[in-house]
Amino acid sequence: MWEVMFWPCVACVLLPWLLVYLGIHVVRRGIIFIDIAMAQMASLGICTAVLLHMDLEGTGTFALALGFTLVGAAIFSFTGKRTSQVPQEAVIGIAYVVATAASVLLLSRAAEGDEEIKNMLVGNILLVSPAEVWHCFGLFAAVGLVHALLRKQFMLVSFDREVAYRQGLRVRWWDFLFYASFGLVVTSFVQIAGVLLVFTYLIVPAVCGIGLADTLGKRLLVGWGCSLAGGIAGLYLSFRYDLPSGAAIVCTFGGLLILLSGAARIRRAVDG
Amino acid sequence: MKQLQSSLIASALLLTIVSDAHAKLEVVATLADFGALATQIGADNVDVTVLGKPTEDEHFVDARPSFVVKLRNADVLIEGGAELEAGWLPPLLQNARNDKIAIGAPGRVVACQGIRLLNVPENVTRAAGDVHALGNPHYMIDPIIAKAVAQHIAQTLATLDPADAAAYQTNYANFATTIDARLQQWGATLAPFKGANVVAYHDSWPYLAHRFGLTIDTFLEPKPGIPPSPSHLAEVIEKMKAQNSRAIILEPFHNRKIAEKVAAATGARIVDAAQYPGALPNTDDYVALIDALVARLAAALGGQ
Repeated sequence: MWEVMFWPCVACVLLPWLLVYLGIHVVRRGIIFIDIAMAQMASLGICTAVLLHMDLEGTGTFALALGFTLVGAAIFSFTGKRTSQVPQEAVIGIAYVVATAASVLLLSRAAEGDEEIKNMLVGNILLVSPAEVWHCFGLFAAVGLVHALLRKQFMLVSFDREVAYRQGLRVRWWDFLFYASFGLVVTSFVQIAGVLLVFTYLIVPAVCGIGLADTLGKRLLVGWGCSLAGGIAGLYLSFRYDLPSGAAIVCTFGGLLILLSGAARIRRAVDG
Repeated sequence: MKQLQSSLIASALLLTIVSDAHAKLEVVATLADFGALATQIGADNVDVTVLGKPTEDEHFVDARPSFVVKLRNADVLIEGGAELEAGWLPPLLQNARNDKIAIGAPGRVVACQGIRLLNVPENVTRAAGDVHALGNPHYMIDPIIAKAVAQHIAQTLATLDPADAAAYQTNYANFATTIDARLQQWGATLAPFKGANVVAYHDSWPYLAHRFGLTIDTFLEPKPGIPPSPSHLAEVIEKMKAQNSRAIILEPFHNRKIAEKVAAATGARIVDAAQYPGALPNTDDYVALIDALVARLAAALGGQ
């Protein structure tokens, strides 16, 4: 088992911590589908590269994908107003459908079909290579460092927006920085693990953490515990019953969330 | 005591040798057509594992942990090559790290080797717009090519397992004889429809067209993997009416609704077809699959 599952396990141990942390931001901001919208912006960049006959493995393609992600970050930070009748989630949904539809349009004009692009965009955690894991880990460490250094501002902007505005913080710029770093993280994790897994790692541990603990530190600990338990258990089930690994992990997380919420309910009933 | 020990060792050694002689070759086939041939040629001397399901799109096969385990333990890997499995096989092999089936190793059968592929693009830049720069990889549907692939497999098995070489050769010879005999019948069944225009969802059938004298050059998808646009469908419908096309070939994983729409507009029939043994009822081996395809095509073209 270890020969086959070693690198997937390493990936599930070394990578999700940053997603869990960003997930707590995302859940508190109420912008659950931002990751999928960002991933779709990146894929629109790659479709553009295909249309321009660029080398899909080259730096030009990566730059385009990154550029489109930054455009997404700009859109989301520009539309996030202090008070608005339109929730941010609506803008995110619109960006997602338009980016998806635009990539269909681009590909229908491209010389080749979308087989290669699908393969490029959506990774499979079972088949990660050591190099991919280390590259991704390096990037996550760098982004994590930026977030650790600037945590005061990021926290304020995500969790206490009113205070941030009152203190005269340039919220829009901090939002942009948040979305840009977030887009970078999501896009690189999608390439090695797929869209379903990114969404799961962002949202489920964060929801568990927010549900079970009250301070950020404790929430992070609960979230990291969940992400490790769910990831490793999911990989084990995937091997034991020969299931597609990404989907097995996602369903394990679903089960874990049901168990935890049941436990929390019982505890509340006992306490009360 | 010493004697007992050495006799134990000797019998243990003997056991290993005996069991080695009877160990079956572990054969992994990427797709069900290669698997069916490997089973036919290898029979009791091989254990065959097929990765892609017969009803699955061969361009996208979902990897599962057992695939890596099987590839790790394989003595032989049979793949189509020509970029057929380019989307999913390389990362699996990278993770399996098995020298016995590495490129160029005797255990690696790249079935397209020595096959003259159809539709090789003249210009192989991306701008030329062909996903398969080496030519169309759906060649196994041509029985004569399948015979060549079967021979390739028989030779590989014989090289790796010389003790059973005679059995592999006999099984190949039987397969070849069956194909030769059936070719006559298949040709006769489709002879009345020589030159007929047939439409397909995806460009999977040039070898069938080439072998049996059909014309299959109109496709519901404008490009591989791209959903049809309204204007493309309108063009297809017009072309079908002009050419009096009577059949639309549809594979299990393609969008049936689109085919039904076009069929309704043109009066053509949908032929539920598949490239892989086991995808249609009672088509567990290669010959049964071609039997079913020929019968279904003839029925649709004959308007029955």
